[in-house]
Amino acid sequence: MKALAKKNLADALALLAGQATVWVPAKVAGVTRFAPWSPAVTLDLEATPPAVSPKEILLPETESLYRYSAYGMDVTFEAVEQEVPPTIIWGIHSCDVQAILCQDDVFLSREPQDAAYAKRRAATTLVALACTTPGPDCFCTSMGLEPAEHASTDVQLHILTDGYGVEARTARGEEIVARLAEKGLLVETIEPPAKAQACTRAVNPEGIDKKLVEMFEHPYWDELAATCLNCGACTFLCPTCHCFDLTDHRRNAHEGTKIRCWDACMFTEYTVMAGGHNPRPGKKERVRQRFMHKLRYFPERYGKWQCTGCGRCVARCPVHIEITDVIKEVGEVTLDG
Amino acid sequence: MKELHNVNVAMRTLARELLESGTVAGVYGWKKGSRPTLTSPLYIQDAAKADRLAYDQYAVSNLSALLLDHRNNDKKRAIFVKGCDSRGVVRLLQDQQITPEQVLVIGLPCPGMVDEAGSLLTKCAECRFPNPVMADQVLGGVEVSKQPSAPTGVTAEAARKVGVGSRAGERMAQVAQLEGKTAAEKEAYWAEQHDKCIRCYACRNVCPACNCRDCIFDTEKKGWVSKAATSSANAFFAITRAMHVAGRCVDCGECERVCPMDIPIMTVNRKLQQDIEALFGPYDAGVDETVVPPLGRYQTDDPEEFL
Amino acid sequence: MGEGQRELIPQSVTVTKIIDETPDVKTFYLALRDQGGRCSAPFHTLPGQLAMLSLPGVGEAMFSATDGGDHLQLSIKKVGRLTDELHEMAEGQQVGLRGPYGNGFPMTEMQGKNVLFIGGGIGLAPVRSVVRYCVDHRADYGKLHLVYGARTPADLIFLDDLTKHWPAVEDFTVSMTVDNGDDEWQGHVGFVPAYVEELRPEVANTVCVLCGPPIMIKFTLNVLRKLGFQPENIYTTLEMRMKCGIGKCGRCNIGHSYVCLDGPVYRLDQLHELPNEY
Repeated sequence: MKALAKKNLADALALLAGQATVWVPAKVAGVTRFAPWSPAVTLDLEATPPAVSPKEILLPETESLYRYSAYGMDVTFEAVEQEVPPTIIWGIHSCDVQAILCQDDVFLSREPQDAAYAKRRAATTLVALACTTPGPDCFCTSMGLEPAEHASTDVQLHILTDGYGVEARTARGEEIVARLAEKGLLVETIEPPAKAQACTRAVNPEGIDKKLVEMFEHPYWDELAATCLNCGACTFLCPTCHCFDLTDHRRNAHEGTKIRCWDACMFTEYTVMAGGHNPRPGKKERVRQRFMHKLRYFPERYGKWQCTGCGRCVARCPVHIEITDVIKEVGEVTLDG
Repeated sequence: MKELHNVNVAMRTLARELLESGTVAGVYGWKKGSRPTLTSPLYIQDAAKADRLAYDQYAVSNLSALLLDHRNNDKKRAIFVKGCDSRGVVRLLQDQQITPEQVLVIGLPCPGMVDEAGSLLTKCAECRFPNPVMADQVLGGVEVSKQPSAPTGVTAEAARKVGVGSRAGERMAQVAQLEGKTAAEKEAYWAEQHDKCIRCYACRNVCPACNCRDCIFDTEKKGWVSKAATSSANAFFAITRAMHVAGRCVDCGECERVCPMDIPIMTVNRKLQQDIEALFGPYDAGVDETVVPPLGRYQTDDPEEFL
Repeated sequence: MGEGQRELIPQSVTVTKIIDETPDVKTFYLALRDQGGRCSAPFHTLPGQLAMLSLPGVGEAMFSATDGGDHLQLSIKKVGRLTDELHEMAEGQQVGLRGPYGNGFPMTEMQGKNVLFIGGGIGLAPVRSVVRYCVDHRADYGKLHLVYGARTPADLIFLDDLTKHWPAVEDFTVSMTVDNGDDEWQGHVGFVPAYVEELRPEVANTVCVLCGPPIMIKFTLNVLRKLGFQPENIYTTLEMRMKCGIGKCGRCNIGHSYVCLDGPVYRLDQLHELPNEY
């Protein structure tokens, strides 16, 4: 296997950053998140996982879609063209690679595709980093993932004593490896890569998608939702939550920009219809929607869990409503009949 | 925590009695979480579940804002409170979000809350009101006090040992540190912090002072606010939130604890407390519900010259 | 239009005609107008499909569209901020429009069958798109029967269709009712479900298209069941809040189904498979 020594990492990133925006896990204002690499960036490859997922790279928190104007009887709409540079996400873990597959299902698998997402996704190369030391809230293996590697990445980096084993998995990955090799940044190694330690948390989600079909009216949701604050911490930190709003950013009474920004099924206003009817009027309905979506509706629609076990919602829920508990408790519920 | 063993037993017994007798329709307390170092909010309506109640040095959550879920409901709910939590209840009463008939407040002795690593939380080191400022009942021998005081009750010694209130005099240290910066440095600092905000509104939703029925940030109707999570829109949210709780913030620190982006929200709240005290004299919000917050009362000698 | 988010960006269309249907419902004709003033439809829709109408700076909302050949028709009831503004518009005003969205009614599957249409209030708008299609392809469908109800005679929409055009179509029965009559009203007075029961419409080889307020749908379904209609032969449309129209923004889901993409038309047996959350 080829290897990239730790001392060559900065050179490798600098080389790649010459031709692409290279997003790396970095400490930004005290929080570990993905940031475009530059020599000034403080790399943080140890965070498992980074506090903020790389979701925003493919689905920005806020993006402009079009400009509008309305003067007199006339209205105009003009697309805001997005510059999408070649992009590399370096150091992404299995959980977040899997999350991108979930996003691909939503934005690309059914017509019409989401053009802006498609454009960014097509420009993106994934360089995954093995995750061998799980964080306190990690449970990706329970959701069927392998923290040490992911099959759907362009390059897989393995952990070696003093560097990274480099394995290309796609033609695009080969290109990156070839460029690093060409500059003499890679060496051959026979060192076996580090194995991943067991995840801290373990649950068994097997069969709960089917069980949840029978649990829509179950009192469990009342109890679960009673202490929920209906904030958006869980959904916004979640790498698979994709819901968005289209809304106006007004410049004045006549002109403005239509923006797309993240939205959350936890928010009261999310499903309110003109006239006031709200099909999900309370905490119970909203909390149930969130977990049903992840563990039943998404599997029904796309054939995979919409939870990758990254543990971010578990770590940051202000009231400790934990999806691991939900999986466990749903599994334990006895259904009548 | 051994000092709290009897308190836990008493909490469960009391909750069971209150629910069984129909005195209350529900009880807010805490339960043990998925790790020994986590103690999470719990709401029970069924006496059979009273045994799940648990209280220890990890029960950091202030549950008072959850009472807002029942503000349109006449039934009574019981809530267990630490000193800081009790100020949240006073906030809701004073703001007329709930009536005294809707809540039964049960005061608990606070041993000082610690993080998962076991270190005393800064807000507890800086705490001036470790005892409930109001309660209908108390457990564990804690004394109700509307004055800044030393911890009382069965955990008084433990609280003193870990340093509850030991740095009360340094509460404004972080404010002072920021005030020492130049305007440009301050701007850069806050821009970096506001850049991080993801507009999840956890700070707002956990806050007993953020009790508007319809928050301006939940409605696009008037076009006052943009949903765009840009640095300027985030700053607008942060400043609006801070100004809206100015003089009403009960200093519980929950906004900062729940912020998933670790934005130092309490620094802004404390800065406003400091300014309000400088302008209007000493005031502790959520302590005595008969004393109107400085920004909520009108006096002819108001320092605002414009008026 | 450039490479951007084409499916989310409206095109400018002109309101070429506005019809006052009732005090709070107007029908808007929308068309692309070329420099010579010739009109063409912004896009074509199947019966039951949706279009997203947008007033810049005010908002967007999804409405059931009726294909008018060289234009699209949206019948819109005043229920909120956006619709209030729409009702203030004058002919010649431009608005934004995108679509079509949703599945529409399965007009091919319905061929050879009698169709019972049941509409309540503004719910006649989606029903009308199906009626028009059946009338335009009269030979493909059996007997047609419409039962329509509104609160008062003043609330009946599409009066020309109801009183002139449709009764003139071969084998087409139109039955109208109002909840509360007035001095001039000679017709039936009573709620739609009871009227349907009273009319005892033909059940054999008949599909039912049912649209209206949720409470009317609920009680009418009870009647249809009593009359012997199978869920496989009843179609209805659902409304949820929508933003994108392409099954991605998340908010219009009922279970795993996205109303904007997989709906808004559901067969009752399909609906029974979904959570009761709409």
